[in-house]
Amino acid sequence: MSQQVLWEVVKGNNAFLVKRNGLTLSTDPFNNTGVQTYSSTGFITNNAIGVVPTQAKVNQINNVNLVTRKSTKFQQADRKTKNTQSVYASTLSVKHGIHTASRVIRKRFGTRRLGLQKAALRKLVNLNRANAVRRRNEIAATKAQKK
Amino acid sequence: MTSVPLVSVFSADDSTKVTAKHIPLPAVFQTPIRPDIVSFVHTNIAKNRRQAHAVNPQAGMQHSAESWGTGRAVARIPRVSGSGTHRSGQAAFGNQCRKGRMSLPIKVWRRWHRRVNIKQKRHAAASAVAATGIVPLVLARGHRISQVPQIPLVVEDKIESYEKTTDALNFLKRFGAFEDVQKVVSTKVVRAGISKQRGKKYRVRKGPLVVYFNENAKLLKAFRNVPGVEVVNVTRLNLLQLAPGGQLGRFVIWTQSAFAHLDKLFGTYRYASVLKDGYQLLRPLLTNPDLARIINSNQVQEKVQPAKTTTVLHEVQKKNPLRNTKAMDRLNPYARKQRAAAIAAIKANTKGTKKIKKNKALKKASRAAFNKVSAALNDATNAAVQEEQDIKVKYFSVQKGAAQAE
Repeated sequence: MSQQVLWEVVKGNNAFLVKRNGLTLSTDPFNNTGVQTYSSTGFITNNAIGVVPTQAKVNQINNVNLVTRKSTKFQQADRKTKNTQSVYASTLSVKHGIHTASRVIRKRFGTRRLGLQKAALRKLVNLNRANAVRRRNEIAATKAQKK
Repeated sequence: MTSVPLVSVFSADDSTKVTAKHIPLPAVFQTPIRPDIVSFVHTNIAKNRRQAHAVNPQAGMQHSAESWGTGRAVARIPRVSGSGTHRSGQAAFGNQCRKGRMSLPIKVWRRWHRRVNIKQKRHAAASAVAATGIVPLVLARGHRISQVPQIPLVVEDKIESYEKTTDALNFLKRFGAFEDVQKVVSTKVVRAGISKQRGKKYRVRKGPLVVYFNENAKLLKAFRNVPGVEVVNVTRLNLLQLAPGGQLGRFVIWTQSAFAHLDKLFGTYRYASVLKDGYQLLRPLLTNPDLARIINSNQVQEKVQPAKTTTVLHEVQKKNPLRNTKAMDRLNPYARKQRAAAIAAIKANTKGTKKIKKNKALKKASRAAFNKVSAALNDATNAAVQEEQDIKVKYFSVQKGAAQAE
């Protein structure tokens, strides 16, 4: 379905829309800017990447997931692949480091859509920074426990 | 338009198994999405379930109130006749009066229902069905479909024979629809307002809609106690269920025979509908609404003129040549020579003059004089201070002597 047509249907009201304090924001997982605009709303496209924080387990290196919006030919979830697939997205955990993750983002967007690419990378970096703090605290806590 | 022309039918017992690999999508799913028609039809059709109500026609009017007229220093509003009670002489009848009747009292014969043209209703229903097959729209409506194997979800007819709610629940769990049911359960709230005392205590979200075909199917009883789930026959598809609140994109679970029946119900683009007399599916205004694709297509790019290069006039920060020598030299190459000549001229002018040597002797003498003066000043101040002290001592000792004497 064309992004333009979907936008016309969805822009007025959708489940991710949050209007507060005069701001029009979005909780869309494929939106890396947080503001609802035509270009940043990823769930109406077929090639967005959402950088999503997850609940990190103890000793998990990273708590970020890349959720890739995908358009499959038959709108079917591919059960056979390892990555958690749904009808509209596949989830990749960032366990091989954010450099690999950033390559995924760069490859997806290429030279076009620099704004979206930068937004995704920025979010990835910020989440990673927060994650580093978490890991540091975790390690300190385990060290203290051992003592 | 999206090209999802084929759809798989899933086995009721195992969501990984597919009973029919690729069956063609009914033409309804290709109809244009018309939120304008849907919202118009929805607002009108939603009024049709209203029950008449009215205010008691005599309310506020059961008095023999009459206006006192002018000349009695009161407003001219009708006043309650009689005496012996507080109520007598109070204003009555008006909408502004306490205990008066409301303005324009509601009558039972208010026009509660709206009729909508059949064609509009049919176009709206078709559009709503099409929207149930588009994943972003179902997401936008707020359904939790991350575990659902396919949209539109078509399942074999076996579910029509479910009788037990446990079967229904397990089926929903298998197909990832239970997440939507859980959403319904967890967001059940007590309604705000007085309706909660009038039989509408809870506000409950909408979950999946199950559409079946065979009339003697038992699945209604199996599914009806699952919160949020609605069950409907294909022949009685309701816009109020397909697009609740006028919002397109309900999560629908079709049975195989219901899905196959849609072509007969709505017709295709080749043939008009069989069951809806004379109804032909709406044709889109644009066959290809994807603007980006159109712009980037070969046909358009061939005819388009080459992009103009934007020339920015002041790309670099402007430097002032009067203060910046390099900028000046760029503009006037001779400026360098002029500057050198000016410096040489200054040098030539000052060639004869000697440098003024500092007179050390003079400095020494002046410093000595200064020291002398400051020393004299110091002595003078010290002497004054000392004098003051002496006077003080003398004074206080005299006082002491005087005290002692006393």
